[in-house]
Amino acid sequence: MADEKRTPSPMDRVWDFFISVKLAIVTLIVLASTSIIGTIIEQNQPSEKYHQIYEDWAFALMDRINLFDMYHSTWFLLMLVLFTVNLSCCTIDRFPKMLKVVRNPRTKLDGSLEKSLSLLDRWKRKGTLSEWAGKYTEALSGSFAKPKVTEDGGEVHLYAETGVASRFGVYVTHLSIIIIFIGAIVGNVAGFKGYVNIPEGEAVTQVPVRGGIRIQDLGFTVRCNAFSLETYPSGQPKAYKSDLSVIDGGREVLRKTIVVNDPLQYKGIWFYQSSYGQAGGATAQVAVTRKDGTPMGALALTANEPVPIDGYGIVRGVNYEQNFQGKGPALQVVVEKPGQPAASFWLVQARPDLDRQRADSLVFSFGGLNSKMFTGLQVAKDPGVNIVWLGCSLMVIGLIMAFFLSHQRVWVRLAQGTDGRVEVVLAGSASRNRLAFEKRFEKLQTGVKATGQ
Amino acid sequence: MSNVILFNLTTFLFGVASALYLGALYAKNEKISAVGTWVCVLAAVVSTAALGVRWYESYQMGIGRIPVTNLYESLVFFAWSVNLFYLIVERKYRNRTFGAFVMPIAFFTMVFAVYNDSSIQPLVPALQSYWLHAHVITCFVGYAAFAVSAGVAVMYLLKARQENAKISEGVVGLLPACKMLDDLVYRAIIWGFPFLTAGIITGAAWANYAWGTYWSWDPKETWSLIVWLVYAAFLHARVTRGWHGRRAAILSIVGFLATIMCYLGVNLVLSGLHSYGGG
Repeated sequence: MADEKRTPSPMDRVWDFFISVKLAIVTLIVLASTSIIGTIIEQNQPSEKYHQIYEDWAFALMDRINLFDMYHSTWFLLMLVLFTVNLSCCTIDRFPKMLKVVRNPRTKLDGSLEKSLSLLDRWKRKGTLSEWAGKYTEALSGSFAKPKVTEDGGEVHLYAETGVASRFGVYVTHLSIIIIFIGAIVGNVAGFKGYVNIPEGEAVTQVPVRGGIRIQDLGFTVRCNAFSLETYPSGQPKAYKSDLSVIDGGREVLRKTIVVNDPLQYKGIWFYQSSYGQAGGATAQVAVTRKDGTPMGALALTANEPVPIDGYGIVRGVNYEQNFQGKGPALQVVVEKPGQPAASFWLVQARPDLDRQRADSLVFSFGGLNSKMFTGLQVAKDPGVNIVWLGCSLMVIGLIMAFFLSHQRVWVRLAQGTDGRVEVVLAGSASRNRLAFEKRFEKLQTGVKATGQ
Repeated sequence: MSNVILFNLTTFLFGVASALYLGALYAKNEKISAVGTWVCVLAAVVSTAALGVRWYESYQMGIGRIPVTNLYESLVFFAWSVNLFYLIVERKYRNRTFGAFVMPIAFFTMVFAVYNDSSIQPLVPALQSYWLHAHVITCFVGYAAFAVSAGVAVMYLLKARQENAKISEGVVGLLPACKMLDDLVYRAIIWGFPFLTAGIITGAAWANYAWGTYWSWDPKETWSLIVWLVYAAFLHARVTRGWHGRRAAILSIVGFLATIMCYLGVNLVLSGLHSYGGG
């Protein structure tokens, strides 16, 4: 028809562009090579840092094309969109064709099909068509797959196939990529990621998200009961532990000690152990006794904060050392009495009686440093994450289907020969791993040929 | 420690095997390469024992964990995987000339490992996860497959040049036919690709469980994606556009260079989340 010879319309050209595998290969290579940039230029650093490295004009140029946050730039996202459109168009174009072929396989070994197949064998047998058709049907069912039998113009055709799923592998894989992208979009739109520090004993009901631009209400309260740090004998960190409580509707509904790699989840919001630190200043516990041994009570000293003792003077903790002259933790204290010069001395935790040497009216002993810690939690809600995992699972399944299954087809044609004998043609083909199929075909060939002999 | 002695012995055996395979090519003597195969089998036994002993020794130190958590351990595990993958290929294809091109990769990996700190260190909190096992094993099977593919791709390029010139003498003459090499370049990649994919996915799942983000465009993640994209391009070019021979071989080598960058370059050159940074 004249229509078919017409030059393609612009729409057709656009379509042809999007369904080409050439475009897919170019997109894959361009995505791969541009992705390198963001691994060489450190991403999302403060601009002062970039100013130190680059000239002003270079900084301006790189900033303009978003090289400092390139994976979220418009041009990179557009490439991902192009990649997805290409993938979708290829699927829309090819999937129905493949389905048609799978649904209506060529069950008859005609002349043109015969010519296209390289694995082929022919022989002759005495007997009738139906007798041999029955025997070979049984042989194929036993060693390959149950064949479909068609009679046509005095010929009998047997057709058997295995591994049809292999044809779907590529579509499952492509679909999985689209599902992963959908999951990522859902997570970005409906989820949030934030970070919060909670000092021991304190609680939060909100977290700052998107680098603190927005405040997200949790809808419940999370309290940090305690934080602890465990170390190996060598001093390397072994575990960061936060004892967390979730308070919802005025009562504690969940309590869990989280560590890195073991988060807490409540109402779809996850709390991950991320960092820790000292909350505010530390307090030094100092016990006070009279010279005769009568206890006077305890002082809680914070750095340089003067604490008065009635009828005695002012006490300040001024310094702390983890290991003072090899004797372990120690606190340096300054005592100021009215009308006297200030006295400064060290209290060693391991030797509570040391201060008696000073022969003062009061004896101080250092009971240790109480430092309040805070835990740093990554807080995330991602309703898209399960969609992503679905996509990932499908991808692995799709790849296995595509690479390790093979659509193998076997045909047998039986025809009455001029000499009264039955002429048999056996042929086979495989969609992949032809070497392995050749071996299987050889076996099948021997088996089928020997049938009824 | 005894595991390090066993690993040093493995290094030596890999060196001997490489020399035997190369020697067999030059001397055109099949018997020499048959000895090479037995040395490889012995090396497989010794290195497997070494990994086991190292694992056991870590328990004795009270920090028991799988021996794949720093640069030294990952290098020896990579060499172990390459050796094993190679033995499977040699057996399946019944050709020993591959050894001359693949075993040196295992040997030089071990030599590089020897220059790194081999002490058993306890795991930092971020690495204490069952995901570690699945993630590392899938990644390294993938890397090993890509290493074999690239080694065979080099053989292909040598052989193809000679076939074009219609000569079949010399060392190259002993190599398998181009058609077979070309097939193996592809076949190793279709094994490596699903494993790399599984490696990236288990890494993402782990990151999500540890930090609440399955993808953060960290340099390591990005490079693994780059490797994935290169091999995805290879597979599309091969299957749908009929890229065979020279172009496929070059793409396989490019893919392996990207793999090396992902595995080592990112840690040694760039900064990121992975533990063996800076060696």
